[in-house]
Amino acid sequence: MQVNPILLEVFKNRFSSIAEEMGVTLNRTAFSPNIKERRDFSCAVFNGRGETVAQADHQPVHLGSMPLSVASAVKDVEMKPGDMVFLNDPYKGGTHLPDITIVAPVFCGGDKPEFFVANRAHHADVGGMSSGSMPLSTSLFQEGVIIPPLKIVEGGEVDAKLMKFLLNNIRTPVEREGDFSAQIMANLTGVSRMRELVEKYNLDTVKFYGERLIDYAETITRKVISDIPDGVYSFEDYMDDDGWSRSRIPISVDIDIRGDTASLDFSRSGDQVEGSVNAVYAITLSAVLYVFRALVSENIPTNAGCVRPITVKTRKGSIVDAEFPAAVAGGNVETSQRVVDVVLGALAKALPEQIPAASQGTMNNTTIGGKDDRTGKAYAYYETIAGGMGASAIRRGESAVHCHMTNTLNTPVEALEYAYPFLVTEYSIRRGTGGKGKFSGGDGIVREIRLLSDAEMTVLSERRAIPPYGLAGGEPGTPGANILIRQGKKEKMPGKFNAKLKKGDTVRIETPGGGGYGKP
Amino acid sequence: MVLIGVDTGGTFTDFIYKDGEKWGVYKQLSTPENPAMAVLEGIRKISRDRDAKVVHGSTVATNAILERKGVKTALITNAGFEDVIEIGRQNRFSLYDLKYRKEPHIVPSNLRFGLKGRINCDGVELEPLTPSDLTRMRDLVRAADVESIAVCLLFSFLNPEHEKTVRRELEELGVPISLSHEILGEFREFERTSTTVINAYVSPKMKRYITYLIKEVGEDSLRIMQSNGGSISAQTAMDESVRTILSGPAGGAVGAFEIGRAAGFEKLITFDMGGTSTDVALIDGKLPMTLEAGISAYPVKVPMIDIHTVGAGGGSIAEVDVGGSLRVGPESAGADPGPICYGKGERITVTDANLFLGRLVPENFLGGDMRLHDEKLNRHFEEAAAEIGLSPMALAEGILAVANTNMERAIRVISVERGYDPREFSLFSFGGAGGMHCAFLARLLNIPTVFIPNNPGILSAIGMLTADVIKDYSRTVMIKEPDTDYDSLLKMFEEMEERGKAELLREGLEESAIVCERYLDMRYEGQSYELIVPFGEDFSQTFHGMHEKVYGFANPDKVIEIVNIRLRARGLPEKPEMKTFPREGEEIAPEAVVGTRKVVFDSESHETAVIRREMLRHGNRIEGPAILVEYSSTIVVPPFASGKVDAYGNLILEIRNS
Repeated sequence: MQVNPILLEVFKNRFSSIAEEMGVTLNRTAFSPNIKERRDFSCAVFNGRGETVAQADHQPVHLGSMPLSVASAVKDVEMKPGDMVFLNDPYKGGTHLPDITIVAPVFCGGDKPEFFVANRAHHADVGGMSSGSMPLSTSLFQEGVIIPPLKIVEGGEVDAKLMKFLLNNIRTPVEREGDFSAQIMANLTGVSRMRELVEKYNLDTVKFYGERLIDYAETITRKVISDIPDGVYSFEDYMDDDGWSRSRIPISVDIDIRGDTASLDFSRSGDQVEGSVNAVYAITLSAVLYVFRALVSENIPTNAGCVRPITVKTRKGSIVDAEFPAAVAGGNVETSQRVVDVVLGALAKALPEQIPAASQGTMNNTTIGGKDDRTGKAYAYYETIAGGMGASAIRRGESAVHCHMTNTLNTPVEALEYAYPFLVTEYSIRRGTGGKGKFSGGDGIVREIRLLSDAEMTVLSERRAIPPYGLAGGEPGTPGANILIRQGKKEKMPGKFNAKLKKGDTVRIETPGGGGYGKP
Repeated sequence: MVLIGVDTGGTFTDFIYKDGEKWGVYKQLSTPENPAMAVLEGIRKISRDRDAKVVHGSTVATNAILERKGVKTALITNAGFEDVIEIGRQNRFSLYDLKYRKEPHIVPSNLRFGLKGRINCDGVELEPLTPSDLTRMRDLVRAADVESIAVCLLFSFLNPEHEKTVRRELEELGVPISLSHEILGEFREFERTSTTVINAYVSPKMKRYITYLIKEVGEDSLRIMQSNGGSISAQTAMDESVRTILSGPAGGAVGAFEIGRAAGFEKLITFDMGGTSTDVALIDGKLPMTLEAGISAYPVKVPMIDIHTVGAGGGSIAEVDVGGSLRVGPESAGADPGPICYGKGERITVTDANLFLGRLVPENFLGGDMRLHDEKLNRHFEEAAAEIGLSPMALAEGILAVANTNMERAIRVISVERGYDPREFSLFSFGGAGGMHCAFLARLLNIPTVFIPNNPGILSAIGMLTADVIKDYSRTVMIKEPDTDYDSLLKMFEEMEERGKAELLREGLEESAIVCERYLDMRYEGQSYELIVPFGEDFSQTFHGMHEKVYGFANPDKVIEIVNIRLRARGLPEKPEMKTFPREGEEIAPEAVVGTRKVVFDSESHETAVIRREMLRHGNRIEGPAILVEYSSTIVVPPFASGKVDAYGNLILEIRNS
């Protein structure tokens, strides 16, 4: 078969609309605000080898890791028509336990799956030592229930025993069950759309253009890399700490650009740590892919082709390639941001006009759980808070926006107060916190919440000590701060903490500003 | 008495009127610097000093936002929440843009003022407003010298006292004040603030414009079209201008709805393909509503007709990208330089591909007023085709295939993704470029019938003339189903209904012509997305059924939450009856066929008749292939379609799927 530029474009549209339609189904049918309002999920279509063909523009942190989940599901479980496999084990293709992936095979008459569809959603609780399952843990076992690849749906029927067992280990079972059915619905949408596509064009054509779309993304990515001057570019930045010790954790990269390929070596990064900021390899890969995808100005499908020109080398047992059973809850959300920072920092040496200064570099994960005195029911609430973007050579950084590896929505103040025993006392832009420069960085956010019932709170945040860097003479952004206000007294809390809070306590989260660009 | 519908467009201001039994159509060149001039000029010519009733779709509010030319506006919020409008929902609209910037907000931070005082989610006052704080705020607003003020306080829809106090405090400044609980009585503070701010920003502009019109037309004779597909009085349009921002496309949908209904078509997918964009909407026996619309980057949560827009039109540019894929749009050649065949363009567009395949008739374009340069096309198509190893014909057909796929995607969004099967609908095609694509698009989607109205160029104006008078009201109540029942809910509607009826009576409607439709916005507990459910005794059952249809599942064991109550007060004015024609034979009059030309369909050239549409008569049959030309559009009837003309002069195409 020869590539027809028309069909290539038509299939580009069709594959990505299938991923998008899956996302529409998941978003609409999900139960939890975390998925519906914040849209913390991703959907994708894969070829028979488990390579991504199209992924909808949902959450970048899921980019590189979804195919590893599919690979793991395929390796461990033999799937038949009507089956679906779910998993969250970070050491088997997952990222951190709240992110649960469900994979479905697409059969087209033969005895082997010709394609897969999968979606991943962040569940607001998966058990473990603290509400919301984003704990300050020291081992994976404390972070929640670990799901190896298992059939959650067999021959079209949900495995009731498995579901019951699972839900019994989770704080908010009703909400979880609703979200699981939404994830299953999304995959059903994907499977039937893929089958319609095959019916319309025949299997060989669909498979052929699935491959060509991967080639297509590869061609464009290679072109972008070949526009970067050859050379080795290095950069190092730090995580504040792991929440247990006070020592900073180095993350280093050496990027070797040669022609149309890029090799990234993270071996000089620090060892894995006791706290929960360890990243598994999938996360590091996702962060690297995000950066290279962002260098592509064209609207291309995000798929396996974007990865082909890039190799990512890590050292087993390091902070960016942790080994079982290291704690990983925060690796996905925090360490991924720092990996982006170092990759961008290194590339800034090659492409000073294109690369911005560091953005807030954290997601300011806040989880609050307890019993709502108004209803007597248990709840678990999770949110991430936006901050400042780094400035670039042409303009200032945006304020109060989610940066790089996340793009979730906030929960409106009025929705929050209806649903949970909180009173939001401030939600504003933290003016003047962007680093000064020819162009200044974007400002962070202030979010202040008063508790109306006793509760347990966990904050997992970064850039509280080491600020987001500026570039080309621009100043760094102001670091964030976490403050507990109890009976009028302010207490500065660490970047990562877990606390039992009393009714009437107020927590104030101040998020970092982005770095400035150029001399002020 | 003359009835007149007026729609302001970019190039022309369209009029349709009914003068006694006589229908007429009129076009006047638009006057963008003061759109009222063209409107008044047309009305003068049509009414010739007799009484006229005018319904008008204005773009004044829309353009004020798009061009950021509204008035200097202040925003009053709770202290600590002044930036809600700037933070938005925290997300970025472009995921991979390292230099991302939001649209700058229309109320800059120095015009936002915070007040101490707080209402909670039960409507209880936790902290009062203080007189000294109010005075300080008033002085600051006065010093800022604004022309309009928006007020949005948390949970004001449950307890509006604080917002009302603010209004009393600010009234002496003598500028219009928009209170959020009056503009949109619903929860979610960002969206409510945005809607209120937009209203404050455009209302004074609209007021100036309408005041200018009613000096001549008379206040009682002028009604203004809203984005919800109904009209409102001139006075309401001045106070609540946010309700008019997307009235043009809404007029088109209403026109399609009314014309379709008259002709016996209740299930329609409207397809309005213009030069730079395409609007689609799904009509399932009633006009579709959405609460999720917006303009530019700003959400506007008043009910609007649910119209989905994609950036693909006749002017969309086709280009092979560096990866070897043939892209069509979203970049458009616009009107200047325009497509290659308009004379100045250098890049191939969808219109050029249609002309290259013979589907446009150069000598009939805009009634022959504008010459198309088809001689310029060969060189461009040959060069471009050679680069990618295709024949020029395959390239042209490919461009149309890609454009049609983009539009198919748009139709799937409003149908399949919302639980509808497009095969059960007819494709209602209008807009300058719709007629060239509708049959092909219908074939792609397995839609059996295409409906092309008589006078497709003035559909919006027709919609304005036939629209109901509509007033929408809503309020967040947030009650769980076990804590309420039909009777107590009915009570909650009473106050709203009284207000709705009173306001419609004031708008000059007879009591007997007023209908109140009640709705509940419902969801399962824990969900954060609501369905709008018609309110009746079995409202829970209705909700489960709708949930099943839209989302594919229902869960009768789960607790239902009633989030908002919603009332639509509808005034049914006397509607002009559509003109019908006596039935004639199937045979087309020989003089209607003005020639033949070679046209490519599915890679083969066909000898194709060119027919003047205005010479077709009720009962005439058309076998594809044929090209129908009229002043502002061209209709392509491919070999896989055949058509007939109905009593209203509409063309109905049947699509045979191969």
